[in-house]
Amino acid sequence: MYIIKTSCISPQKTHDGSYANDIISYNGNKYNAIEPDYKGLIRPAQLRRMGKTIRMGIGAGLPILQDIERVDGIILASSEGGLEDCIKFLNQIVDYDEGSLTPTNFVQSTPNALAGNLALMSKCQAYNMTHVHRGGAMENALLDALLLFEEKKADLLLLGNVEEISDYNFNIETLAGQFKKEEVTSDALLNSQTPGTVCGEGSSMFLLSNNPDNALAEIMDVAQVSFPHKEDILDFIIGFLSRNLLSPEDIDTIIIGKNGDVRTDFWYDYVCDELFQSQNQYSFKNIVGEYPTSIAFATHFACELLAGKDAPEETIIREINAPKNILIYNHFKGEQHGVILIRK
Amino acid sequence: MDKEQIKKELIQHIIEYLNLSDYTTEDITDDMPLFGDSGLELDSIDSLELTVMLEREFGVKITNPTEGRKILVDVNSMADFIIANKEKADK
Amino acid sequence: MNIFVTGLGCISPLGFNLKENLAQLRAEQDGLVRSEYLESRYKSEKFYGEVKMDTSSLLDRINVSCKKGLTRTDALAFVAFDEAINHAGLTKTEVESHDTAFISASTVGGMCLTDELYRDANLNTETSEYSGSYNCAAHTLRITKEYKIKGITNTINTACSSSANAIMLGLKLIRSGRVKRAIVGGADSLAKYTVNGFNALQILSDKKCTPFDSERDGLNLGEGAAYIVLEAEEACLSKEKYARLLGAGNTNDAFHTSSMSDTADGVTACIRQALQDGGMAENDIDYINAHGTGTQNNDQVELTGFSNVFKSIPPFSSTKSYTGHTLGAAGSLEAIYSILSIKHNEIYPSLRVSNAIAGFDVSPVAGYTNDITINTVLSNSYGFGGNCTSLLFGKV
Repeated sequence: MYIIKTSCISPQKTHDGSYANDIISYNGNKYNAIEPDYKGLIRPAQLRRMGKTIRMGIGAGLPILQDIERVDGIILASSEGGLEDCIKFLNQIVDYDEGSLTPTNFVQSTPNALAGNLALMSKCQAYNMTHVHRGGAMENALLDALLLFEEKKADLLLLGNVEEISDYNFNIETLAGQFKKEEVTSDALLNSQTPGTVCGEGSSMFLLSNNPDNALAEIMDVAQVSFPHKEDILDFIIGFLSRNLLSPEDIDTIIIGKNGDVRTDFWYDYVCDELFQSQNQYSFKNIVGEYPTSIAFATHFACELLAGKDAPEETIIREINAPKNILIYNHFKGEQHGVILIRK
Repeated sequence: MDKEQIKKELIQHIIEYLNLSDYTTEDITDDMPLFGDSGLELDSIDSLELTVMLEREFGVKITNPTEGRKILVDVNSMADFIIANKEKADK
Repeated sequence: MNIFVTGLGCISPLGFNLKENLAQLRAEQDGLVRSEYLESRYKSEKFYGEVKMDTSSLLDRINVSCKKGLTRTDALAFVAFDEAINHAGLTKTEVESHDTAFISASTVGGMCLTDELYRDANLNTETSEYSGSYNCAAHTLRITKEYKIKGITNTINTACSSSANAIMLGLKLIRSGRVKRAIVGGADSLAKYTVNGFNALQILSDKKCTPFDSERDGLNLGEGAAYIVLEAEEACLSKEKYARLLGAGNTNDAFHTSSMSDTADGVTACIRQALQDGGMAENDIDYINAHGTGTQNNDQVELTGFSNVFKSIPPFSSTKSYTGHTLGAAGSLEAIYSILSIKHNEIYPSLRVSNAIAGFDVSPVAGYTNDITINTVLSNSYGFGGNCTSLLFGKV
């Protein structure tokens, strides 16, 4: 499965590709996306109903679809969907005591509203799927695409993720103890040595093909495991590599999902110390924050590395040579772990 | 409240409820079609939004969709409906 | 490759297990009531397909190590999941094996706790046992943790077609050889949130719903959970098998966010895809378990789709006339009813239908029918965002 094109809206200036030399530093717990000007891309009549999730997803997805006659499916990953709309509708229920309510927020709040909108705007009547498996949603979306290509039911697919920071998830995750209590700058996040992380958002979209012509990268395989014990994780990763006829030495680059939460970053240290001591090593959550489908950003980042672009200094933990065979390892809250193999 | 005043408020509320950020109050005329292939080109969800708007902002209720189609034609017809219902309520 | 259904588990307005559901279906007894447990001002104004037990008693029925933070959706999911794996005779080793996938679906998730959600989302509290419970994947993750599932796990939300898509993904995973079996289905519970959402769209009926009747005026919301165990032939050689999952189709209508096109593009393409995927012709279909929500738009469009595909429309019915629309559980619950139709050669009717929809000379099956042979069943599910899914089941 090959990545032909990528597009990304994130807390960095990824939408126009200028981010690498101009990384934005953050202070505090919210890393808000830098959104492009949607005028010219989305008609005002359509934009007026879109919450941030849908806006970002369309904003990242449509540029990919623009020069394409058709895709054979749209596959989305989103843990939460349009939460801003969800809380607006929830507040309407309470504020108007279940009286007459306007339905737009309700319709837009369902997590598959983005995939539906993308289909509507691109007149794509083919396969349409939305994976919402929290920290495993993106891995499942990629697996879905692998299956479609294997079954020869698709030549081209649009696949991507979206997640937004809304009061809803930010407040609930705050209650769950997900974020830092003290203010930490993005420069100091990964070495903060305290509990909690920071909240990010964004949408990464990919045009996938079964044909290697003009490809940016090949996604060889993807895997996930839930609630592993520490001693299971090495077997999981070695098993994943060996089913692709690889061993850790064949990997020259590892991108890890370190997020500065001292309670769960040990997974990355353990895996890197045991299996990947001399490889290139990059982080990404210190520039875009943590969210359940953030592995999608790591995939976008891997494509940039494979295209020979310089990695922003902030993301470099160890850089030795040009990345060719990349393993992405990420987990969400230490509960859902995912790996993606990606190469030139 | 006279009809001109009602129409003025209606237009403001239409823009607000439907989030028509690219329209100003001058852009929406009294006889501009709300639905269909010209004018504002609204759809079925918008008609539900407008029904709720009439109830919340003007205290008038559209009871069935067939009636709604006759009322939600343009700003004029909505204003007439509000006036007729206010009169009914006053009597 | 032959893929068999080897286990079924469900909890619905018709009963707490498979056996109770079957008895109610045969007796033409719907489960639609004024709500007893829903906290909403509409609880006595509308009819609901409610599971007839309060949440705390439901939680008492399940055997879980820690019940903190569990919601009604979770409880329903646990009950049906447990029945399905026991029905299939899966051992603990099999459930925990990397060869077993678990794919669930939900649209409401923990939002059944609408008031708690409002409280937590607005930070009107300092602690909450439910902070991890609202997400659509919460029930999947709780089950995964409790049953120590190590294989592929997933949660789908494509609105009302969610659990039909979970079944389709299970089929694809087994076909690909990545797993030998998949436990697939979905769960949803009644929530103030969805009741108000559907009410705002003006598609809730005040009466018991009448899918495919000319006078239909909307749907009833329901709740439940349903899981089926799919196994590759090699994994279930000596087991009892209830049906085969032959194929599936998924398309998008690409017409409107919350209604379907008059021409039924998505519905038509999706049925054709399922037939092709399952290697069946249109005249092989013996019965269609329709999506049949009872709204003006859905039933009209679905019938248009049938007319587009079938020269002669096979017997069809909507079991939502029994259960109401159970949203994320609907696809898998109706898959189970379809499998029961095949297993027992019977059709569970559309209840309360008096007149055919104008423009179509066909009516749904209106009474319990058991003097026929059912070899192949098509089960349809459609959701907001234009999502259309059809599943094709066949006799063993």
